[in-house]
Amino acid sequence: MSSEENLSADVVIVGSGVAGSSIANELVRAGISVIVLEAGPRVDRQHFVENFRNLENKPSYQEPFPAVPWAPHPPNQITPNEYLHTSGPDAEAYQQVYLRMIGGTTWHWAGCAWRYLPSDFELKSRYGQGRDWALKYDDLEPFYYQAEVTMGVCGPDPAVEDLGSPRKQPYPMEALPISFAAQQFRKLIDEKTPWRVVHEPQARNTRPYANRPTCEGHNNCMPICPIGAMYNGSYSVYDAEAAGAKFIPNAVVYKIERDAANKRVTAVQYFDPDKGSHRVTGKYFVIAAHCIETAKLLLVSADEQSPDGVANSSGHVGRNMMDHTGVQVTFISGDQALWPGRGPLETNVIDNFRDGDWRNERGAYLVHMVDDNQVDLATQMAIAKGYVGRELEEQIRYMAAHTVRLFSHNEALPDPNNRLTLSKTKKDALGIPHPDVYYKLPEYTVRSCEHTRKVFRELIGHMHGTEEQWTPGYFPQDHPSGSTIMGVDPRDSVVDGHCRTHDHDNLFIASSSVFSTVGTGNITLTVAALALRVADTLKKELTHA
Amino acid sequence: MPKNRDCPSAPLWAVSPNRMRLSKLLRMSRRDVLLSGMGAALAGSAAEAGEPDAQNGALAATDPLVQQFMVLSQRLTDRDALDARIGAALCMGIVQSGAERKTQLQALHTVLTKEQYASASDFARAAEKQDAALKDVIHEIMTGWYRGVANGKVVVYRSALMFDLTKDAVFPKTYAAGGPFYWTSKPPEVAKPNGLPALSPSKFVVEPT
Ligand SMILES: Cc1cc2nc3c(=O)[nH]c(=O)nc-3n(C[C@H](O)[C@H](O)[C@H](O)COP(=O)(O)OP(=O)(O)OC[C@H]3O[C@@H](n4cnc5c(N)ncnc54)[C@H](O)[C@@H]3O)c2cc1C
Ligand code: SF4
Repeated sequence: MSSEENLSADVVIVGSGVAGSSIANELVRAGISVIVLEAGPRVDRQHFVENFRNLENKPSYQEPFPAVPWAPHPPNQITPNEYLHTSGPDAEAYQQVYLRMIGGTTWHWAGCAWRYLPSDFELKSRYGQGRDWALKYDDLEPFYYQAEVTMGVCGPDPAVEDLGSPRKQPYPMEALPISFAAQQFRKLIDEKTPWRVVHEPQARNTRPYANRPTCEGHNNCMPICPIGAMYNGSYSVYDAEAAGAKFIPNAVVYKIERDAANKRVTAVQYFDPDKGSHRVTGKYFVIAAHCIETAKLLLVSADEQSPDGVANSSGHVGRNMMDHTGVQVTFISGDQALWPGRGPLETNVIDNFRDGDWRNERGAYLVHMVDDNQVDLATQMAIAKGYVGRELEEQIRYMAAHTVRLFSHNEALPDPNNRLTLSKTKKDALGIPHPDVYYKLPEYTVRSCEHTRKVFRELIGHMHGTEEQWTPGYFPQDHPSGSTIMGVDPRDSVVDGHCRTHDHDNLFIASSSVFSTVGTGNITLTVAALALRVADTLKKELTHA
Repeated sequence: MPKNRDCPSAPLWAVSPNRMRLSKLLRMSRRDVLLSGMGAALAGSAAEAGEPDAQNGALAATDPLVQQFMVLSQRLTDRDALDARIGAALCMGIVQSGAERKTQLQALHTVLTKEQYASASDFARAAEKQDAALKDVIHEIMTGWYRGVANGKVVVYRSALMFDLTKDAVFPKTYAAGGPFYWTSKPPEVAKPNGLPALSPSKFVVEPT
């Protein structure tokens, strides 16, 4: 089946997450026509809120967001998985989750919005590890600011608390006041360790901003902010649509066509849910389909001209898969009551392990004291211990007030053997192969995690902690990156410093898939900044043309 | 370990997780008509304790099993007042969670009527001593009232007793009402309790996400 409709735009974007919708919004406001093809359906917040409230296993962040058959996403972080098939010695450490629907995965992100450090872009030249990016911090600085304004990021005044990423302007909003629990943690770190706790920059309103309300402290940023005080990609979708961008939901792109010379992309094809095929032409194309789906789409588009997949003359599409692997521990503090879970989930960070000469041998990391409501966990634990009646009630109160959770984001390195390929046996309802990922944690990351465990043990000691429960092994932090890696050399990278594919002049990629290294902070502000830089390049080329 | 959910072509994104679980449960009950109370009711058998109403699929608060369940619940929570409608829904969920649950609830009730117990702990200790298997059903009663969950499904969220107990300090997620930046204020101190567990410990497994 093929449609006769004539779908064409100056720029065709695949994916309506933060990356795709931010580009659409910028371009359409500059008078450039845009079509965004989104694999998943239109959705609304209240439905997810209702699903969350009816969910028994509340920490299961995927569960309120069921997938549609034509655009499946991983149903959970369990290995073996029904969609993302991981293998290798650290298969479980790569069991990432993400969402396929209008607005993308930030429906259930936590809003942590870090700029990377200048050193993050130069890991190879400064520390002899990994790779250098094909751009520098200064190239991205204006776009970081633009992304912070778009998303509405609050953060500390650099004169008071310098986070190490030079800024030309202050944060769009003042830092979020931290909870009593975080204040006590900060005091303890000040008094008993050489480290510091900083205010985490976050895409969360500390005053009414962009027609969205001030954060009310519902403590549910993951999986769904009930009131929209936290930014997510859907807001950029609404803005871009209001300005005239065309979004087509339930449009699963499965093929990227090129001209006879294989130099320029001419069209993409998508399936609707009934597998009717539609062709969309344009002058420029941007793939912004999330790290895993972007690489998958390039590989699925293999044909005679490009037998290994589109944009893949280097053979690096799908390779160099990275993440911020996590270490996590929960324990009962022996000090005063903290009552975590008042206010947003993630607000404070120990940032002393972000940079240092030791990065020549082990990865950097952030430490979060997660401000998560622990009442349900405390109740489950107290029941399992055998308490009933009045004694049970006392235990619940005590443990809910004293449970502390720490987790880290440890840096990976690009290793071509950590690789995404197309499943040979598993296909979705449209016949498109599922993604397979082989993963072995780099030794660099393992050493970093060992360091984190030592630091956590020290912190548990300072807090007179008991009943430590370590999450076994290593767990995925949902920051997949590297699958279409950036570099100056077309022989070992997929895109250049402007996120343009080396192979095809008018094909750009906007995703963490272009990251040359995974950096030291949550990935999305950098994804958005790179995307806005792509929009800037496209604006220049299209208005000069 | 919960299995991954399949993706039938129904508009699943418009369905709540509880309803999905319930419909799975209904499918199972139909397959197993003899064992399931609900199946028997659907087949039109005479009403008996613990039989859900054929019309609305719920247990009535006046059902004898629910009344026993309420007496048990008051003793096990050390509370005089518990909501009978929530109790009926929890009781039904627990009965449906396993073929042996109904008889266990009745056995537990027999233990309770044989003697006067001064506290939940005294009663739970005696029950486990009499039959170790009764520990599981006590766990389910506790899980029902305190977490608001029965048979793996949410029966009540905000009204779960765990939130009643902690309402001077925290809000149930998505229901904050403390005013601007309420979280910066000092929450109440909690003394370390010295009460002992009544039952032998059970293995605690964090559900996978
Ligand atoms: C639980 C969780 C918490 C997180 N917390 C944070 C955090 O606090 N801070 C942070 O920085 N990051 C966080 N992240 C990561 C963050 O969500 C992602 O980095 C971000 O969503 C990436 O944006 P994107 O636009 O590249 O991709 P996405 O948001 O995933 O959007 C991609 C879109 O492309 C669509 N698509 C895919 N395939 C196709 C196709 N074939 N055709 C058409 N459309 C397609 C998808 O449906 C999707 O809508 C978190 C992630 C998770 C899972
Ligand atoms: S704390 Fe609540 S209101 Fe604030 S961002 Fe998180 S979920 Fe939204």
